[in-house]
Amino acid sequence: MADDIEKPLLDIIQEHAVGLTAPLTRETQIADLGIDSFSIVEIIYEVEEKLNVEVPFNANENPFGDMSTVGDLVDALQNLINK
Amino acid sequence: MTRNVVVTGYGVVSPIGAAAASFRDGLANGKCGIETDAFSIEELSITLPGAQVRDIDDRIDALGPALKRADRVSQMAVLAADEAIAHAGLEVDDETGARTACIIGSGIGGQGSFDRTYYDMLKKERRPHPLTILRVIPNAPASHVSIRHGLRGPSFAIASACASATHSIGVCADIIRGGSADVGLAGASEAVLTYGALEAWNAMRILADETCRPFSKNRNGLSIGEGAGVLVLEEEGHAKVRGASILARLSGFGMNADGKDMINPSMEGAAACMQAALQTVEINDPSAVYINAHGTGTFLNDPTETKAIRETFGAGADDLIVSSTKSMHGHLLGAAGGIEAIAAITALETGVVPPTINLDEPDPDCDLNYAPNEAVERRIDVAVSNSFAFGGMNAAAVFEKA
Repeated sequence: MADDIEKPLLDIIQEHAVGLTAPLTRETQIADLGIDSFSIVEIIYEVEEKLNVEVPFNANENPFGDMSTVGDLVDALQNLINK
Repeated sequence: MTRNVVVTGYGVVSPIGAAAASFRDGLANGKCGIETDAFSIEELSITLPGAQVRDIDDRIDALGPALKRADRVSQMAVLAADEAIAHAGLEVDDETGARTACIIGSGIGGQGSFDRTYYDMLKKERRPHPLTILRVIPNAPASHVSIRHGLRGPSFAIASACASATHSIGVCADIIRGGSADVGLAGASEAVLTYGALEAWNAMRILADETCRPFSKNRNGLSIGEGAGVLVLEEEGHAKVRGASILARLSGFGMNADGKDMINPSMEGAAACMQAALQTVEINDPSAVYINAHGTGTFLNDPTETKAIRETFGAGADDLIVSSTKSMHGHLLGAAGGIEAIAAITALETGVVPPTINLDEPDPDCDLNYAPNEAVERRIDVAVSNSFAFGGMNAAAVFEKA
């Protein structure tokens, strides 16, 4: 499961990474993506729409904790999807 | 000490010119931006006359990601505000930002996003996009302008239908006079040329069948337009200290309500509003007064407004020059008073009074000088911008030569 959706997750993040100049990898810093406060909500919406999955995310619960890399974000999304 | 309010900049997005210079040329040349077209969402479509803003897609793309995903109503507000700030030569540093108000209204808000969301939910059984609320709230244009330029003084949206922009200008001036800000962005934006909104307007049976013909006997309704108009208002001393060019003085403002009817305008209400606006203005020569009329081209508004002007100016009414620029740019609803205030200021600046086009059949009930069909060269010292909204909410702003 995890491997199947990692590539589409990265593709969706890439679409929102308007500030990114280098190629997107798991090691890319989230701070370098150029995304803003609502990008996460938009990314989750698109993950749900495109991958036909449910992401039980509540912006008030901060389920992502202290993330620093895109790999952290992808793992957190995968954990939510697998919940 | 009296704090006087002056205009130091303006920006326009309109169907007859998507920037101040092209708008001014459009007004002087009697350009008509009203065209019959199809307004559609997917398979749903309505065809009627409307005044669209064209060729701004590249400028919207250049606004960056936060605005690219905003509603058109916010995008046009930001384009107008950017131009206004540049025109005023205003450098918004931390100190100025804290003392700058941002009062940008809208009659409706993010109508296109409403349409898209309900279409998707009801026709496709899809969920709303997560940014829907942020796109549709009527304060989104004010918020985007405030965020983009770091304006941290009083900021909110005013919604009074077709008087929203004029109320915003007057209230912003009061905020500056009262000392809560030294500078203010004031105006409104509207973007309702969408299938859903136009069906609703069409249901009221007040839209023109071909084009808008204010004060003409063969008028048969209004034509909806879109766009934004934003002024930079400034306390006079503040403007002088920073060496800004003063384009006009905002020397009077009146607002009231008819308190009578949701649709039918009141002569008494409109006259009282204009009289309140002119209370602080000395008029020596009525022939140097230009009134940018509300002039919707509806059966009821035009003779009622004519009588209200006569009531306000008495014998001097015959010397005034009056025009409805809605004949060219359509009715921008909430944003109307924004671009019309700029049309009024332009007449002060250039001595060119914009015409009322499509005035081809005189109406005995509309018996003022409406600058029919061609711009008129005349020295203008005082310019009045009238806005009378559905729901009986009136506002009038008076500008004087700098």
